Amino acid sequence: MSRLMKLDRAYLDKLKEHTIPQILAKQAEVLKDRVAIRKKSLGIWETVTWQEYLSFVRNVSLGLLSLGVERGEHVAIIMDNQPEWLFAELGTQAIGGITINLFTSSIPKELSVHINRFGSTIVFAQDQEQVDKLIEVRDELGDVRKVIYVDPTGMAFYKDPWLLSFRELLEKGKELDRKNPKLFEEELWKGKKDDVNLMIMTSGTTGIPKLAMLTHACFIDMAFKWIDSAPIEVGDNWISITPPAWIVDQMWGIGVSILSGMVMNFVETQETLSEDYREIGPAITITSSRFWEDLASKIRVKMEDSGWLKRKLYDIGLKKGVEVVEMESKGIPVPIHKRFMRTAFQHMVYRPLLDRVGCLQIKQAVTGGHPISPDVIKFFRAIGLNLKHGYGLTEGGGVFQVQPDGEVRPETVGKPLPTTEVRIGEDNEVLVRSPSLFIGYYKDEEATRKALRDGWLHTGDAGHIDEEGHLIIIGRKEEIMRLKGGDAFSPDFIETRLKFSPYIKEAVVFGEGREWVAGLICIDFGNVGSWAEARMIPYTTYTDLSQDPAVEELILSEVRRINNELPKPMRLRKITLLYKMLDADDEELTRTGKVRRKFVQEKYIDIIEAMYGEKKEIQVTGKVQYRDGHVGTITTNVRILDVE
Amino acid sequence: MRAFRGEPSIYGNSDPERMRAELKVEGLSLAFGGLMALNNVSLEVKTGELLSIIGPNGAGKTSLLNSITGFYHPQRGRIIFNGEDITGLPPHEVTKRGIGRTFQNIELFPGMSVLANVFLGRHLYCRYGFFPASLFLPSIKREEVRHRRVVEEIIDFLEMQPIRKKLVGSLPYGLRKRVELARALALEPKLLILDEPFAGMTLEEKEDMVRFLKEINGRWNQTIILVEHDMAVVMSISERVIVLNFGEKIAEGPPDYVKNHPEVIKAYLGEEG
Repeated sequence: MSRLMKLDRAYLDKLKEHTIPQILAKQAEVLKDRVAIRKKSLGIWETVTWQEYLSFVRNVSLGLLSLGVERGEHVAIIMDNQPEWLFAELGTQAIGGITINLFTSSIPKELSVHINRFGSTIVFAQDQEQVDKLIEVRDELGDVRKVIYVDPTGMAFYKDPWLLSFRELLEKGKELDRKNPKLFEEELWKGKKDDVNLMIMTSGTTGIPKLAMLTHACFIDMAFKWIDSAPIEVGDNWISITPPAWIVDQMWGIGVSILSGMVMNFVETQETLSEDYREIGPAITITSSRFWEDLASKIRVKMEDSGWLKRKLYDIGLKKGVEVVEMESKGIPVPIHKRFMRTAFQHMVYRPLLDRVGCLQIKQAVTGGHPISPDVIKFFRAIGLNLKHGYGLTEGGGVFQVQPDGEVRPETVGKPLPTTEVRIGEDNEVLVRSPSLFIGYYKDEEATRKALRDGWLHTGDAGHIDEEGHLIIIGRKEEIMRLKGGDAFSPDFIETRLKFSPYIKEAVVFGEGREWVAGLICIDFGNVGSWAEARMIPYTTYTDLSQDPAVEELILSEVRRINNELPKPMRLRKITLLYKMLDADDEELTRTGKVRRKFVQEKYIDIIEAMYGEKKEIQVTGKVQYRDGHVGTITTNVRILDVE
Repeated sequence: MRAFRGEPSIYGNSDPERMRAELKVEGLSLAFGGLMALNNVSLEVKTGELLSIIGPNGAGKTSLLNSITGFYHPQRGRIIFNGEDITGLPPHEVTKRGIGRTFQNIELFPGMSVLANVFLGRHLYCRYGFFPASLFLPSIKREEVRHRRVVEEIIDFLEMQPIRKKLVGSLPYGLRKRVELARALALEPKLLILDEPFAGMTLEEKEDMVRFLKEINGRWNQTIILVEHDMAVVMSISERVIVLNFGEKIAEGPPDYVKNHPEVIKAYLGEEG
């Protein structure tokens, strides 16, 4: 059997009429014992074939039926990326249930609020940790009939009939199957492709997150957008690393992979990710810009620590690579000697480097979620990784906009994928129309009316389309700021450039109605920490390190360098190094890692006012919320730093 | 794909003989020259129990463990394990009878990987000789795979996957303690003896360790003798506590009883208790 094959187009087109679980059943007949899922456990990559995949889903479905789950019931899933997540999700959807995924990092209160808003009656939980959180808020979870946990470790002491193990669920399913072997098929084929199958929480940088309702048809259309535009073959690898509560792994896990026959790979643990990533070597990957930013800064820091020869080769190789990439993006033909140099460096530097980070097999890598520094794209393209910008939204059903090969330019987010139309509306707002669009927000008609008008999704992003049809995103429409002098700027634009410094982890800039731009900066504890260690600068905690004079100088020099690349009005005049990392537990970030600007502004208003005043130092008391829910305080002095 | 998490096969055997650990120590005395390290100490451990031994520095806790595991040879008294007198047996013989231990000062091979260190615990169960092993015959391959599986299950249970291939010497202290526990578990001991497994750990590492011990003792019925300084930990997980002071047993009973025992308060917990 050849490893790769293409599915027959006529066959694929016929699948468009079905629901996702129905398509899985069809695929299991065609792809049979090819690998559908891989999961590393006990140090070995274990496989699940397409037929086994279906039989797991079947048993989950029947298990849920035996618990009395009915069509249209809501099931919440609090799981990490692992095969059981897909089984639970598709098992629910196969019998007409609707799933929602919550973040495993949520605190108990958050879980109860979301579970109740969503009206879940069944909850799938990862492990003891998640079960404990649910038990803590059990009084508030009156509608939840059963909690099904996946990992049995530590669960033997719980004798509560509220809880059920995943294995017991499968057993219940098998039992029902023996009694009524036709039940699953009957329930499966009752599904319609326009039924809602999944809700996803929008990231909610403002206010509480909304629940976007998506249908089977959305995922199918999204899958075809990718199958028709990207070089995907049966057996190609996808590695599931973004949280299931986020749209990316949903559109891949229950969309593209099912229709295209790609293999879903799951890592052993979060901590072994980079090792496992390398072993799999994915063919296509879509991750947040943070992933690439982290990887780039990791490579840079590691290269600084390497030997003289390696470092020299890398420096020259990178310089030559960037030259070629810049010429290509401007459409200038690359002279033969440069092309020769590139080939030489490919063997000496680029390919070994890509192999080290597990990116050698990548045909296409897409970054999305948040604007990324053009330097990062240039960096990876220079070393031969096909990294491009993509653009998408939960409400759009996923990533619907990608730069075509050969037209990769750093500033744009490319052209629409098949079946997608994009235009610019009032106030430069980006509008999208596509069959993959969501059908509305759950129990929020007003928000739905605002977002969906005449079939066009109003994204809330400001942007424009250039002469060649490429979309350029300026930033969130409501976040565009104006200085007192009238200059408009996008904070994102400045922040992403700041964040490309390996020493800056997070940056939030301010300036609405002010004379100039000021910024709060969170240092990168790992990289600044090793920088300090190499210079024998002692430190204890993050707070301590962030207020060290030498570190202040380091960050100031970084900011000055970045300032030079910015238009004059956008340059930062004053900065403050924040005494703590921005954290989702403190509500400063969304669970997807985006800054909640308004919240941060209110929380740190004293520091911000001080930056626009004359003070050089200010005492602050900050609250810190720990994972277990208890709250501590930090009192410390922070200094206001002049950049000029 | 197997759903095996949390169910290591070393505990999968339902044979009660596999887990039987009846230890009896009778009138044990050990002297180093004129120094009485242990004076007429007796104790008993039943299958499935978690017994803690506490006491101030120099109370003889480690001496007692070393006597049981054959590192020291007591002058008087008897040690009976599962009906067999093991007094005076060398450590490797004691190990063969199903007593596994960890050490206070971590006795691992820092230049070897975590995996290799844990594998050492399987040495007891390797039945092949030198020559078949050098040829790496299929039967040996099969045996190695079996051992690797046991080791991997323990690594999985103790959540050590990220450090599997790291050198022990490069690990922080708390993780090395975990590797020691893993090696001791790889022995499939009937009786597990832990010498200060919590010393020098961060709060989070301690919580993890408590979780592991509760699981292996509570769920898998592993008999454990625990020597520990951290009173909070001892009081929260033990069924029975023995207190030693200057080589003598001064109290024995459930945590609450021991906590309020006047002798113990005087010797160990301070005047206030």
